[in-house]
Amino acid sequence: MVSALEQSLVTYRDKNAFYIREQYYSYGALQERAQAISSYLNLHNTSRLPVGVIGYDAFETYAAIIGIMLSGAAYVPIHPANPMDRNTSIIEQSELCFVFAPNTSYSFEHLIDISKTKVITVADLSSASFERNHIISPNDIAYILFTSGSTGVPKGVPITHHNLESFIDSFFALGYELNSNDRFLQMFDITFDLSVMSYLVPLLKGACAYTVPFDSVKYMFIYELLENHKLTFTLMVPSILSYLRPYFSEIELPELKYSLFCGEALYADITQEWKRCIPNAKVQNVYGPTEATIFCMTYDCSDVLKENNGMVCIGNPMKNCDILIVDEESKPTNAKGELCLGGPQVTQGYLKNEEKNASSFFMYNEARYYRTGDLAYADKDGEILYAGRKDYQVKVMGGFRVELSEIEHHVRVYTSISGVAAVAVPNAMGISQIFLFVEQLNKEVSEVIDYLKTQMPEYMIPAAIHSLVAFPLNSNGKTDRKELEKMIQHAAK
Amino acid sequence: MRPEEIREKANSVFQEVFKDPNLQIQDAMSAKDVEKWDSLNHLVMISSIEEAFGIKIKLKELIAMKNVGDLLKTIATKVS
Repeated sequence: MVSALEQSLVTYRDKNAFYIREQYYSYGALQERAQAISSYLNLHNTSRLPVGVIGYDAFETYAAIIGIMLSGAAYVPIHPANPMDRNTSIIEQSELCFVFAPNTSYSFEHLIDISKTKVITVADLSSASFERNHIISPNDIAYILFTSGSTGVPKGVPITHHNLESFIDSFFALGYELNSNDRFLQMFDITFDLSVMSYLVPLLKGACAYTVPFDSVKYMFIYELLENHKLTFTLMVPSILSYLRPYFSEIELPELKYSLFCGEALYADITQEWKRCIPNAKVQNVYGPTEATIFCMTYDCSDVLKENNGMVCIGNPMKNCDILIVDEESKPTNAKGELCLGGPQVTQGYLKNEEKNASSFFMYNEARYYRTGDLAYADKDGEILYAGRKDYQVKVMGGFRVELSEIEHHVRVYTSISGVAAVAVPNAMGISQIFLFVEQLNKEVSEVIDYLKTQMPEYMIPAAIHSLVAFPLNSNGKTDRKELEKMIQHAAK
Repeated sequence: MRPEEIREKANSVFQEVFKDPNLQIQDAMSAKDVEKWDSLNHLVMISSIEEAFGIKIKLKELIAMKNVGDLLKTIATKVS
């Protein structure tokens, strides 16, 4: 994969690799900066320790990622909106020797404890040629991403070159018709692994990636890129559609060829409406956690969508992925259970976290599987339907097990509003209560409650319903359920 | 509606949406200048402006706006 990337930098020298903040950057320019970085690392990072990159939306950020990869080290993205403590934890856990910052217009003193970690400005490095003098082994780490851990300490997910190559192989086996004239959306912060597909696939094809700054009004910025630059390939989180929905009647994007969704549940009704805006695009719902490298299952959204509680089917495993659905005793089941993933896309395990590794991975028939924490079941055709997070399956008064997605589904059906989220929050007695949030509720709360009572048992009826203009989003652009829970906790105080 | 009236009314919408009673809008102001100006508050702000002035702003008009000054101009053409 690194060789293919090096080849692209030469073959497509004069073509544009990135469009960032209204400026194009060529493959030639990318090669020049990436080589300056890799030759610096060749001299100063001889043991090829992981290297940090501050994720500002700048050309040098991507040059740093590519330069670090060429040098054979792993890159570790650091979010510019993270507090210093979290960054310090990431830097210590991954034993970073250096962190790259883009150029002098971006500050980093508030992000990194510079008494402990050396920060190098990419733009300041002198040009230098670079010849790779070692072979990158499949077990070498390409990147380490940190996800939030339940204990508050971020968990590192190392992804090897073998994992990443397996993803790329799976991806191209899906038969996308792509070439150097394609224009890709890259809407993700580099701390989120969907960013890797969004910059790496275009670079391998000689195409151009159009980026979205983390501090922008994302849905507006994305639409502007789609409209003004006639993008042909997009991978987005479904929340973007909820924000754009009021304007669907004005949107027409005939140039878009592929529209992929990942990162959270995609809803069938909004998908059908979106398809009318993009008449020539193939729409796919793709699925996968960071631990299984970007995504590993796909479903083609044809005219009739398979769905469960309104959530679009996640389809079939990709070429390099095996799946297993297990019951509470970790035994395979034909009923609904926890979706587990195996195959070469799955990470070797969390960084320095034996306890978590012991609980998240297991062996079955001599194959290793990762527990996703997602519930799923196979339909009669063997296609997989997503049934919500295992954590959304909560126990309420009297130990009743409640699927929060089921409550959301009934509300969606009744109100025709896609923005519906149920959260379970423990009260002062430690008993979980269900609260419901709806985007721009168009009915009286009592009407909704009365309807729900005709559909569900009493213990599933929300304690309260709150209408919001729109849902808060987290830094990955997904509905921020933790923030919704906080609103309830805050109101209780 | 006079430009000053539009500005004043829009200013109170901004103060309410961004929960800052001291916020004073400027023509050159944009999302990067206001800490709480994210996707969610943008959507809330646009719908509050639409409601306050009894207007509807199209998506193409929204992406053409680069700052508060552009927003005020758009409001002016719609209310007159």
